[in-house]
Amino acid sequence: MLDRRDACPIARSWKEGMIELIDLVKRFGDLTAVNGINLVVPRGEFLAVLGPNAAGKTTTIKMIAGLIKPTSGTARVAGFDVQMQPLEARKRMAYVPDFPFLYDKLTPWEFFRFTGQLFRMDEARLQTSVRDLIARFNLEPYLAKPIEGLSHGTRQRIAIVSALLHDPEVFVIDEPMVGLDPQHARVVKDILKERSERGMTVFFSTHQLSVAEEMADRIAIIHQGRLIAVGTRDELRRQSGVPGALEKAFLTLTSQEANLSEVPAALQ
Amino acid sequence: MSAHSQTSGLPTPLALLIKVNALQAWRRLKSVRDQSRLLTGLIGLSIVGYASLSFWLFYKGLRFIKTFPGLGTLLTERLLFLLFAFLFVLLLFSNLIISYTNLFRNRETSFLMSLPVPFEAIFRWKFLESALLASWAFLFLIAPLLAAYGLTHRVPWHFYLMTIVLIALFVFLPAVAGSWLAANLARYMDRRAFQITALLLAAASLVSAIFWLKPEPVTDEALETRVLVVLDRLLTKTRFAQYPLLPSYWLSSGVLHWAEGALATAGFFALVLLSHVLFFGCLTFTRMGNVFYDAASTVQSRGSVLSRWGWFRAWRNRTRSCNFAAGPVESALNKLFWLRSETRALLTKDIRLFWRDTTQWGQTLVLFGLLGVYIINLRHFSHQLTNPFWMNLVSYLNLGACSLNLATLTTRFVYPQFSLEGKRLWIVGLAPIGLPRLVKAKFALATGASLAVTIGLIWLSCYMLRMPWERTLYFTCAVAAMTFTLNGLAVGLGALYPNFKEDNPSKIVSGFGGTFCLVLSFLYIVSSVTLLAIGSPWSRRQTTDQMISCTVGFGVLSLALGWLPLKIGLRKLVKFEL
Repeated sequence: MLDRRDACPIARSWKEGMIELIDLVKRFGDLTAVNGINLVVPRGEFLAVLGPNAAGKTTTIKMIAGLIKPTSGTARVAGFDVQMQPLEARKRMAYVPDFPFLYDKLTPWEFFRFTGQLFRMDEARLQTSVRDLIARFNLEPYLAKPIEGLSHGTRQRIAIVSALLHDPEVFVIDEPMVGLDPQHARVVKDILKERSERGMTVFFSTHQLSVAEEMADRIAIIHQGRLIAVGTRDELRRQSGVPGALEKAFLTLTSQEANLSEVPAALQ
Repeated sequence: MSAHSQTSGLPTPLALLIKVNALQAWRRLKSVRDQSRLLTGLIGLSIVGYASLSFWLFYKGLRFIKTFPGLGTLLTERLLFLLFAFLFVLLLFSNLIISYTNLFRNRETSFLMSLPVPFEAIFRWKFLESALLASWAFLFLIAPLLAAYGLTHRVPWHFYLMTIVLIALFVFLPAVAGSWLAANLARYMDRRAFQITALLLAAASLVSAIFWLKPEPVTDEALETRVLVVLDRLLTKTRFAQYPLLPSYWLSSGVLHWAEGALATAGFFALVLLSHVLFFGCLTFTRMGNVFYDAASTVQSRGSVLSRWGWFRAWRNRTRSCNFAAGPVESALNKLFWLRSETRALLTKDIRLFWRDTTQWGQTLVLFGLLGVYIINLRHFSHQLTNPFWMNLVSYLNLGACSLNLATLTTRFVYPQFSLEGKRLWIVGLAPIGLPRLVKAKFALATGASLAVTIGLIWLSCYMLRMPWERTLYFTCAVAAMTFTLNGLAVGLGALYPNFKEDNPSKIVSGFGGTFCLVLSFLYIVSSVTLLAIGSPWSRRQTTDQMISCTVGFGVLSLALGWLPLKIGLRKLVKFEL
């Protein structure tokens, strides 16, 4: 049977990119939060997105997740336009925000079942998937306890497990390590890396340069709504002209960009 | 991966959402067992007390109206039409506000929007949830009335069943209208534009009500000889409630006809309601998904609508350029040189937070505004208010109404203040001012602001009732004492029963301390007004002993419920541990 993505002309490049951002612009009144981002993230790539506060990272992620409409441009997930075919795109992706919503009066197990059923998973597959993940995230002691009584870190782990349950093709996560202890941060890193090697595309936003440096195949830097650099660690170092730690390259690139954007204002 | 291994036979997303939320609601209800027995008892007692009292009042009222020869039925009918028409408007507003919050300011909605749940399914669930949340109080309000109506009119048993069906159909219509309005207002208006429009509409309604609700001049002769003509003139202004295209008209007609045994006519109105519910329900369930998504995206994407206007941009730029200067509140408070600078800083912060929270000043304005409109309208009762009995009664009722309004506000806004401060204890609690002073500053600010309003309203009431200065002074002292007490009670209990887990003030209030505060405030007001009325110095049947004992009783009660909780609360704060 012909995949709808093959038949759809606007989804022609799905084999190349699992996440495609094409001239993506988002304005909030006078403020341009995302300013013409073009980016393709291929299948199985682990992409870390860095940027100072209010750079436009979360807005970009929200457009990928379909939570807000772009002012112009297109966001595609697994070849599906997030605006035109939202259900197809969302079936294939998972999104974990920095402060995820959970139903407080449910137990983690009930929450996993609920999320799995929303993704139309059958019981056998749900059981297999959940058992593996809860063992790795050490969630067994909490499975029958109401979520409302659990710590922030445990809630974060529950959110990540529920997002991974349906084995998404694209995994988008905003600040994944917030609230996690070192042991579980390691588990998250390992699982995401394994899944990425098995073909899951990971798009994660972080302020922790060390995590990006350790995990990412490529790193994208967003500053003042624009994608100012994208590449491997070495490519970024070369682009910035600063050898050594990623931090130096990041600071150089963002300060260069800030200086460049001030020039037209100064000329005026 | 996942998308390729879907399975059939699973519940629909809407069914899943209903199931999961019903489970949550059930567990919330069960958790009542873990709450304080005293709180559960208080809540249960309040519910039973309200239902019994309102049933008794409605029953007595309807029986009284029925005794009017030839007019009883007409008056009862008109009252029902009016009641349902006003409740329809209230339900519409309630649905509008709850739908807006539920659709666009709700974390569950954002969560569901990132999952493969169709927007239609999200909207359907949120619509059902909002309709339930907005309508349960309506059912609670009218149940005693309909029970009293049924008893006074000796209706058959099936009247009650049919009424439930009619009401279930009726509440659906304002829910549809409210959700549709919410989605479209969110789509086309930002918060500030909405606030300004709402205030302008409220002002326009107020002005039109003042012009429309003018008193009918009626002479004593007309009252005695031309009752029907006079009554017809008086009822003319309530005819709007019998406009046949109003859903409340269909409900009222259905209820009344069923009670009279005209089952076919009542059935017709039930079918009218049903057809509208089906038509608008179908539209809501099938056509609102994309409207909702557009609106949700717009809500999260918008700059201010007002920023399109040049004057607004200029004003905003000017305020931005003044960022480092003291604002008007700060400048005004700086003139109070006897206050310490840290106390002034706390007061400035609290005043700013109050002003920037529309809910707080909006509800204050509505409650006291309505009371003000009522008091101003006392001038129309000039004929009746020449009688000393009525004058006395109305003046004490005004004192009670003013205090009840204040009690609602102190419980809703003053009580949770300390708990909310708990979230900010990293800055305020650790500052070198001490928690007792923080709470004292809150008490002073809340009492000062309340006094300005309550004394103003009592003066207005005394002026409208043309009371002499000594009576005005008496009521001023009484309302001032009650204001101190109600604020002391709210601040004191707020410090005694803090809840630092919640950010939402309404959830803090719904806990034990808040409920206790509300119940104590109401009991205090009822007891105080009764004591003051019994010990009134202007009552002819009054003995000096009775007057002194009532006044002393009022003073002791005020001290016990105002000063004592505040004192205990402040003492607790000295050894406070977070």
